[in-house]
Amino acid sequence: MKTKFTASAIALMAATAAGAEGHLPQATNAWYEAGQARLAAELAKEINTNRAKNVILLIADGNGVGTNYATRLFAGQQAGNFGDEHVLPHESFPNLALVKTYNVNAQTPDSAGTGTAMMSGVKTDAGVLGVNEAVNRSDCASIEGNLVSTMNEIMTEAGKSTGVVSTARLTHATPASGYAHSVDRNYEASLPEGCETQKDIATQLVDAMEAGIIDVALGGGRRNFIGKDITDEEGKTGKRAEGENLIDRAKSLGIQYAWNDETIAAATTDAPILGLFESSHMQYEADRSGEPSLAEMVEVAIKNLQGNENGFFLQVEAGRVDHANHAGNLARVVRDGIAFTDAVAMADKLTNDEDTLIIVTADHEHAIAFSGYAGRGADITGLCMGISNTTTEHTGEPCLAKDGKPYTIATYLNGAGSILREDMNWAGVRPDLTQEEATDLDYTQQALIPMSSETHSGEDVAVYAKGPWAHLFDGTIEQNYVFHVMKHAAEVNVSN
Amino acid sequence: MMFTRRHFTTGLAMSLGFGTSATVSAADTPLKLRELYKRDGSFSALALQLEGQRVTVSGYMAPPLKAQSKFFVLTKMPMSVCPFCETEAEWPDNILTVYTKRTVKVIPYTVGIKTTGVLELGAKTDPNTGFLSLIRLAGATYG
Repeated sequence: MKTKFTASAIALMAATAAGAEGHLPQATNAWYEAGQARLAAELAKEINTNRAKNVILLIADGNGVGTNYATRLFAGQQAGNFGDEHVLPHESFPNLALVKTYNVNAQTPDSAGTGTAMMSGVKTDAGVLGVNEAVNRSDCASIEGNLVSTMNEIMTEAGKSTGVVSTARLTHATPASGYAHSVDRNYEASLPEGCETQKDIATQLVDAMEAGIIDVALGGGRRNFIGKDITDEEGKTGKRAEGENLIDRAKSLGIQYAWNDETIAAATTDAPILGLFESSHMQYEADRSGEPSLAEMVEVAIKNLQGNENGFFLQVEAGRVDHANHAGNLARVVRDGIAFTDAVAMADKLTNDEDTLIIVTADHEHAIAFSGYAGRGADITGLCMGISNTTTEHTGEPCLAKDGKPYTIATYLNGAGSILREDMNWAGVRPDLTQEEATDLDYTQQALIPMSSETHSGEDVAVYAKGPWAHLFDGTIEQNYVFHVMKHAAEVNVSN
Repeated sequence: MMFTRRHFTTGLAMSLGFGTSATVSAADTPLKLRELYKRDGSFSALALQLEGQRVTVSGYMAPPLKAQSKFFVLTKMPMSVCPFCETEAEWPDNILTVYTKRTVKVIPYTVGIKTTGVLELGAKTDPNTGFLSLIRLAGATYG
C-alpha cells in the first residue's frame, strides 16, 4: 500500500489537536492507526506451549538482516509498490531474535560452523561438520571422541521422520550439518589419502538414508554420488573414484531417485526420496529450467514426511542466496531470496501452528551495504534516486557522488566488483553507470576491496519463529541456542 | 561489419517482411552473453541465426588458461571464485570462447569488455590446451 500524506490533511489534524490520547491530532493518521493495530496484536499474543510434533528449520544461506532487506524491497517492488512497506512471509511471524553467528575460531563465520551450531547445539570451528571445536580442520585423526549428534539423528531417535532440502549441493555445508561428521567440509566426494576415521560426506548421506536417519534428501550435487567414469542424466561425469555409484546403491535400498522436475513429480509418499537435480549446485531461480523450485521441493518433502504419525523434522536451505552475494550479483540474490520466501509460505501452508514449530533464519550475513539518500520506490537493485520534496515517490534523478557519477543503493564492501584494477597498480575510477546497466540480471555491484569473491560478514542475522515454543526466541542469542529451542519444543529426551 | 542484435532484428524483420536485405548497418549495442543461450543451456534461436555472422558481445575476460594464448573465455560476470562455495574453480554454464586475431593481451577479469568476431557453433578442441568449446567467436578483436 502506498501511503501519501498531504499538507492539508496534516493541517486539518493539527487544527483538531487535543491533549488526551484519543484526541491526538495524529490519531486518524494511517501510520498512527497501524501502530495502534500492531500494539493490539502484541497485547493479544498468546504463547503456544504445545509439544511440537513437527519442526521445520528454514535457512537462507547468507541472508542476514541486510540481504533480507533487499529481498523485502525487491518483492514489494515486483508487486508494484515502493517496497519498504512489504511484509515477507516470515516477517509476519510473532517471535524474533537477533543471532550472533561467529564460530569458535572465527569472528566471521562459515556455513559449516554455523550449520553445526544450529543442528547440534554447540558452536564449533569454521569448516568442520558435526564435530566439536577440539578437532583440527583437515586432521582426520582428530575426529575421534569429538563427534556431536545432529538434529536429524536426535529426531530420528525420537521416532520422527527427517529430511533435508537445499538448492546447493546436498553435500554442501548447511545441508551436510544435518547428517555428516567431517573434519573438513570439502570432503564431499572423497577423502585425502590415509584418512580412515571418517567417510566422505556423500557416502555419509546414503548411509544415513539406509539407517533411516534421513528420509527425504532433495538438492544438487549429483556429481559427488557417481564416479569419474560415470556420466549422469545430463551428460556430466562424477567426482568419485571410478566405478563408485551411490545413486545405484540408494536405489538398491528401495530409495526413490529423482533427477529433474518430471521425475520428482512422479515420486510417491510411501518411500524415501533422493533427489539430485544438478551436477553441482541447483540453478539460480532466475535461470531455473527443468528443476523443481525450492518451494516445490519443500512441498514434496513435507507431504512425504507427514506420513509419520510421530511427526517430522525438516531442514531447508536456500543455498544460492549466498552464492549470488559472493558473486556481487544482487539481481540473483533477491530472486533466490523470493524463492526462499515462497518456500517459507509453502511450509506454513502445509502445516498447523498448533503442532508445528517453524523457524526462519540465516547462517550468516555478507559484506553488503546500502547507502545514499534514496527516495521511496527507488529500485533496490538499481541506482539511488533522489528524495522528492513534493511527492512520496523518488524524483527519478540519480543521486550523484563527488565524482559526478551515479551509484547503486546496494554495493559490496569487497569482491569481484571492485573498482580497483590490478592493471592500474590497484588504483581505480568508478565506471559510469546507467539504470539499465545497474538493473541488468548479470550486473555485478560496485565494490571497494578487490577480492576474487565477496565475503561473509560477522554481523547478526535474525531468527523468526512461529508455533510451539516460538516465544523462546527473544533478545540477542547465540546461534547454537536455535538447536535448544527446537529440541525443547519437540520434548526430545536423548541419552547422549 | 559489426552485426548486433538490434540490427540483426531489423534485418530479420526486413527479410521476413520484404524478403530482402542482407545489408545491415553497424551498431553500438552489443549482445549479452545470455542471449546466445536458452535456459536449458542449448543455443538460442538468435545464436543459430547469427552463426557465421560478425557479432559483438559484452562480458568479461576470464583469466587465460595459458600465457601467450590466442584465445580467451568470455564470461557474463566476473569469474569470481568462492572458496566457501567451491573446492575448485569451475566454468560457469554460459561462456563464449573467443579466438583472437593477435596474441591475447590480458584484461583483468573484473573489467567489462566488448569483443567482436565471427560467431561459430559446434564442438572444437583447442590443439594447444585441449579446451573444448561449443560456441566461439573467430578472428576477434576486443577491448
